[in-house]
Amino acid sequence: MSSQPSIPSTSLQARGVSKAFTNGKLRSAVLQDLSLDVGAGELTLISGPSGCGKSTLLSILSGLQRPDEGGVSALGQDLGELNTRELERFRLHHTGFVFQGFNLFPALNALEQVALPLSYLGLSDAEARRRAANSLEEVGLGPRMELRPSELSGGEKQRVAIARALAKEPELLFADEPTSALDAANGQIVIDILHRIARTHGTTVLCVTHDPRLVGHADRVLTMEDGRILSDHRPAIATGTAGDDIEEPST
Amino acid sequence: MVALARKTLVYEWRRFLPAILAVCFAGLLQLLQAALVLGIFGSASVYITGSSADLWAGYPGTQSVNLGRSIDTDVEMRLLMDPAISRVEPFHWVDADWRGPSDNGGVSVFVSGIDPRPDGLMFSQALSPELRQRLNEPNAVVVDRADLSSLGVNVGDSAIINGRRVQVVGVGSGLRALGGVNVVASLATARDLDTDSANAGRMTYFVAKLHNPADARVVAKRLRGATSFGPYEVWTAKNFARRSKMYWMLDTGAGAAVLFLAGIVFLVGAVITSQTLVAAVVGSVREYATLNALGVGVGALRKVVLEQAFWVGALGLLGSLILGGVLFLLARSYSVPVAFSFVAIIACVVLILGLAIVSGLAAMRSLRRADPATLLR
Repeated sequence: MSSQPSIPSTSLQARGVSKAFTNGKLRSAVLQDLSLDVGAGELTLISGPSGCGKSTLLSILSGLQRPDEGGVSALGQDLGELNTRELERFRLHHTGFVFQGFNLFPALNALEQVALPLSYLGLSDAEARRRAANSLEEVGLGPRMELRPSELSGGEKQRVAIARALAKEPELLFADEPTSALDAANGQIVIDILHRIARTHGTTVLCVTHDPRLVGHADRVLTMEDGRILSDHRPAIATGTAGDDIEEPST
Repeated sequence: MVALARKTLVYEWRRFLPAILAVCFAGLLQLLQAALVLGIFGSASVYITGSSADLWAGYPGTQSVNLGRSIDTDVEMRLLMDPAISRVEPFHWVDADWRGPSDNGGVSVFVSGIDPRPDGLMFSQALSPELRQRLNEPNAVVVDRADLSSLGVNVGDSAIINGRRVQVVGVGSGLRALGGVNVVASLATARDLDTDSANAGRMTYFVAKLHNPADARVVAKRLRGATSFGPYEVWTAKNFARRSKMYWMLDTGAGAAVLFLAGIVFLVGAVITSQTLVAAVVGSVREYATLNALGVGVGALRKVVLEQAFWVGALGLLGSLILGGVLFLLARSYSVPVAFSFVAIIACVVLILGLAIVSGLAAMRSLRRADPATLLR
């Protein structure tokens, strides 16, 4: 668990993180004393069965939730020190999100979906549209940017959602089950895009999934069960990158 | 800036339609209520607003024009002595009992004795010079066209007022008063019809025209102090009209009823509108939560909801103004007493936009469900 491969630079760090939920009188621990370092410029995958705590880990690492114990630092900033408003500002400037549901506004076309968060960054309309258009080109939706969600396929909607997260040029990109609502071909496209973002933009991409098809495309795969990390390994990627396998065999 | 609020409103108009209609009908009710109240109670001061006098002199403390008591005729001299006044005209008010040709019981009428000269001040706006001319005939009276049926007469018929025979020589419009039927006669006829011996040699009001109408307030104040001609008081026409309207509003309890109804309409409209807006917010709660995850602050999201509420209010208001205008004209054409004032319209607009904003504030609370952490479960 404490295995630390030689990664270029650590952008996300969790130390002794614990989280529990109480349901009535029942208190169930979701994360137990978990520590983790995630490096920049890599696609890191967290996989595991449902209920293992991987989504909770993602929400704590991204600053959407606070841990009961332990601390998270992102880009050198201790998230525990920030209040709600400061956390929003931190997310606005540094993080992007892609969710399982695409969560696109039905009334807006693809370009507007992507440009919407940019206007809150203080960019001019022209600059926001330019950046939005570039992001949509990057995910291969250049010709379809005038279409509304109802006119797009599931895979295209998820690519709009990725473009929306990408257009902010975040250092951290979090994705929660981004392929589970998609067929194999579209899932393939989406994971390729996420991988390329990590490589070309130097973005830290942290992706939670239980989709086994994705494992082969990641730079690093963390396997979780019962709130702990069971294994941490770097698969040899099809593109030929050498992967040093630091595996703790799981049961 | 992507116009999220407006684009959503246009794209999902079916979702927002109930709120727009609720605002529209709440606005329509408020507007029509205001129009009716202003119309009905405005007729309490028809004697004043239908005339071109600038000042009114009457018994001190008179609360409404129909409650006048007689004052000394010397007051006319006092008024004419003031250099600002160009003309003074008497107005004789008689509380009387009317019996029509088809004897259907007595009707309480107010006889307005006026100077029938063509350029007279009293009812200068309601009576044509030709109609005024006909009042010079002995025992001639003029009534409002809409009052003919309640008086049981037609033009040319005779009737009895306070035991004396009169003849209806014509009909006018804009003569309808509140509290009783307004019957216009010449000063001479009115004097004959006044059976109260206490009024002999006295007059109910003197109305005056100024060289410069803008001086009305100053002149009224100047004339009010004098007591050497017996008790009297001087009001500007505007002030006296307001006094009369307010007396009727408060005396009849209509004011309280109007406020009560306005409150109910506001409440019902706000409940429907806020519920519709809440449903719209809840319907997009995952998208709002995603924006919040991307760092768009809760304050900015609230602004979107409030902007939607504003547009719902503005569209509903537009509808109610258009419908209200059509119904207003329709009511006018059927002689229903409706009237409008700029202040009343502004008050309605403020009330309706206030309704929309209150609903928006209520709907904003449901943004609390837009917690991005819930998207990760």
